[in-house]
Amino acid sequence: MLPPAMLRFLARRLLQTVPVLFVIITATFFMVRFVPGGPFTAEKEIPPEILRNLTAHYGLDQPLWRQYLGYLGKIAHGDLGPSFKYANRSVNEIIGDKLPVSLELGALSLLVALLAGLPLGVLAAVRRNTWLDYLASSVGMVGICVPTFVLGPLLVLYFAIHLGWVNASGWYGWSDRILPCLTLGLVYAAYVMRLTRGGLLEVLNQDYIRTARAKGASEYRIVLRHALRGGLLPVVSFLGPAVAGILTGSFVIETIFQIPGLGREFVTSAFNRDYTLVLGTVILYAALVIACNLIVDIVQVLLNPRLKFE
Amino acid sequence: MPRPGLAWALSGLCGLYALGAGCRRPDAAAPPEQSLRISQRNEPATLDPQRATLPDEFFIIRALSEGLLVPAPDGGEPRPAVASGWDVSADGRTYVFTLRPDAQWSNGDPVVAADFVFSIHRVLSPALGAPKAALFFPLRNAEAFYAGREKDFSAVGAQALGDHLLELTLEEPNADFPALVASGPWIPVHPATTRKYGHVDHRGNDWTRPGRFIGNGPFTLAAWRPNQEIVVVRNPAYRDAARIKLRGIRFLAFDNGDSEERAFRAGQLDVTLAVPFSKLATYRAAQPPVLRTTPLYETRYLALNTRRIPLNNESVRRALGLALNRTALVEKVLQGGQQAAFTFIPPGLGGYQPQWHVEEDAAEARRLLREAGYPDGRGFPPLELTTWVNTPVLEAIQQMWRQELGIEVAIVQREARTHLAALFAGDYDLALVTAIPDFNGASDLFTALKSGSPGNYAHWSSVEFDQLVTGAGRAGSAALRNTAYQRAEKLLLTELPLIPLYFNTQNFLVQPRVRHWQTDRLWTRFYSDLSVD
Repeated sequence: MLPPAMLRFLARRLLQTVPVLFVIITATFFMVRFVPGGPFTAEKEIPPEILRNLTAHYGLDQPLWRQYLGYLGKIAHGDLGPSFKYANRSVNEIIGDKLPVSLELGALSLLVALLAGLPLGVLAAVRRNTWLDYLASSVGMVGICVPTFVLGPLLVLYFAIHLGWVNASGWYGWSDRILPCLTLGLVYAAYVMRLTRGGLLEVLNQDYIRTARAKGASEYRIVLRHALRGGLLPVVSFLGPAVAGILTGSFVIETIFQIPGLGREFVTSAFNRDYTLVLGTVILYAALVIACNLIVDIVQVLLNPRLKFE
Repeated sequence: MPRPGLAWALSGLCGLYALGAGCRRPDAAAPPEQSLRISQRNEPATLDPQRATLPDEFFIIRALSEGLLVPAPDGGEPRPAVASGWDVSADGRTYVFTLRPDAQWSNGDPVVAADFVFSIHRVLSPALGAPKAALFFPLRNAEAFYAGREKDFSAVGAQALGDHLLELTLEEPNADFPALVASGPWIPVHPATTRKYGHVDHRGNDWTRPGRFIGNGPFTLAAWRPNQEIVVVRNPAYRDAARIKLRGIRFLAFDNGDSEERAFRAGQLDVTLAVPFSKLATYRAAQPPVLRTTPLYETRYLALNTRRIPLNNESVRRALGLALNRTALVEKVLQGGQQAAFTFIPPGLGGYQPQWHVEEDAAEARRLLREAGYPDGRGFPPLELTTWVNTPVLEAIQQMWRQELGIEVAIVQREARTHLAALFAGDYDLALVTAIPDFNGASDLFTALKSGSPGNYAHWSSVEFDQLVTGAGRAGSAALRNTAYQRAEKLLLTELPLIPLYFNTQNFLVQPRVRHWQTDRLWTRFYSDLSVD
């Protein structure tokens, strides 16, 4: 059973979420409608009678406040509305198709980031100032500086075109996951590595580590059991914004590797003035970021005995 | 300790390399027989021929269904498809199409004249909001029915005289009519299917999903994974099924030209839609058979807002047009095989040959500018040239005007719909615009320039031009129509509310194993003869 302090904390944060989401929805709703151009603005102009019919069908001819209230009512029932751009497809359906793809891409990339970054960071801290440390730090610096839209095509050029081991793009089989997740993950792995190294180094200089060493504990036990808990704190705080970054940065990866995920829709729906899809994706991302920050806060309290749920 | 660690690391890397080398790339190693993979650069908003607007949507629709006629690849008279031929009455107002007896829908139902009448009724129903309904307005009372003035559809000039005879009556004789009938929006829909999945003219009608879509074309819709791929497979019920050699086509979604080119190089894609500009020279030098260049009936021009000073002055507009060197633009800047445009209408569109051309004379341009009150560009107000397409052509034009006329024009790039909204509202000075006709006829482009037409971005008005264009629309013969158009174009190119720059081309890549790839200058694709080695 969860401790009552955590439950109170959770309840308070969830209550705070409601006004935050409300503000986000309202701001987005009005902003997207004040942008010049509409869902039906096209190079080949649409005759005015047709435009009238279209706006009437989607309720765009009603006064703005009525559209707004109608939309809020629909959201309350979980209906995000029809897409303006893709006839016959509802926003629920589009998000339902694409969210799992983006989540898979994000989760695997995060896994790559942690699996690559954590051990390297630990190694670099433990073998400080040896060739291993310098190598890991250099790789880290390169990873932070090289943008995904450079790394991705380079990996494709080498592994897909030159060597022919994997597809250049697409999201069909398991092998299609490799390059995109590597590209997105390695950049974050670099950050994780540097943060782990820094956090661990700081902890390894603490008194209680010296005590453990004096008591005769092995190096492994010291690092894994005692030091890591504190050393991971910077990484955990970084993960909150990192998850948000992975979710939004997936737009670039999805474009390079042609992955049918939500990151692309997030951006193209604004260009298409697909009002309902814009709102749907914004709400979703806002909820995800809020949830991730909540989890990160909880994990931080669990890891750091000096923090409490307040 | 370092040494063992290094050894482990190295052997680990070697192991990974060996593992990878043993893997075969799943998609490209042995391309599946008689299956084609074509790049689809824009996700179709709909596959309903009566609600589609983009050529990208018609790429797929034309694989699934065909109309009475199809365009001819060389741009000549349209060829029979579902109709085996047609007769025109002496006054040019009545067309009778004879349908082939062996034309069938993919579920075995025969294609009958009533299906076409149904489709015309549907497209003209105001509730459907068909964006290309104007292509049907030459039919008698069609526009009135669409606007709601005529409530009875039987008054519209579309009638089935039997199962295989379709009579279409026009308001006025129209030499472009066969070209209209061959256009994409005239492709029919299967009546029972549209009825089955909702109200026939309801926008939410969901009949176009795989498993529901019934068409009468060479392929049927097998799968539609949005933003990933659309799969069509051979339709054995097609009237000419024996000719189709492909077992299926996969339209693979690509949003980005570089990803598309990488997939082509990796062997995952057979036909692309474009070539990245940076790679044009390489492909042209290294692999000529792979790079194809198709001229298009697409005019890129500068619209000049005739409501703003100094562009309301005809001398100023003509000076701007005379000071350009279009050949240099096309050869040195674009380098993609485009053609310099000295007329607004692409020559050959619908059989039209222009007679009057714009000139290029920098000295005359300077003289006109001086005459307008801006000698050597002094006192010329700063203007903005807006675009949503990022093209180096604009910088070249800016430089040409700076050099020849001494005037400064700033280039502003706007997001697509913001740019278009500004165009419609007249909130711009100069703008780069693209004109693409909807069918193989020049009337589309001329009508868009009539006074008050939304496509008349320059907000230009000429009574004489309007009269010439309306008269041309009524001309019974192609010769009379073309003469009227030539006079209208001469007027257009004299008053110069828009400056034609160049006619666009499509550069794209085709793998050597693909045979008989055919498109025409209006983005129509012809799938029937395609095969792969």
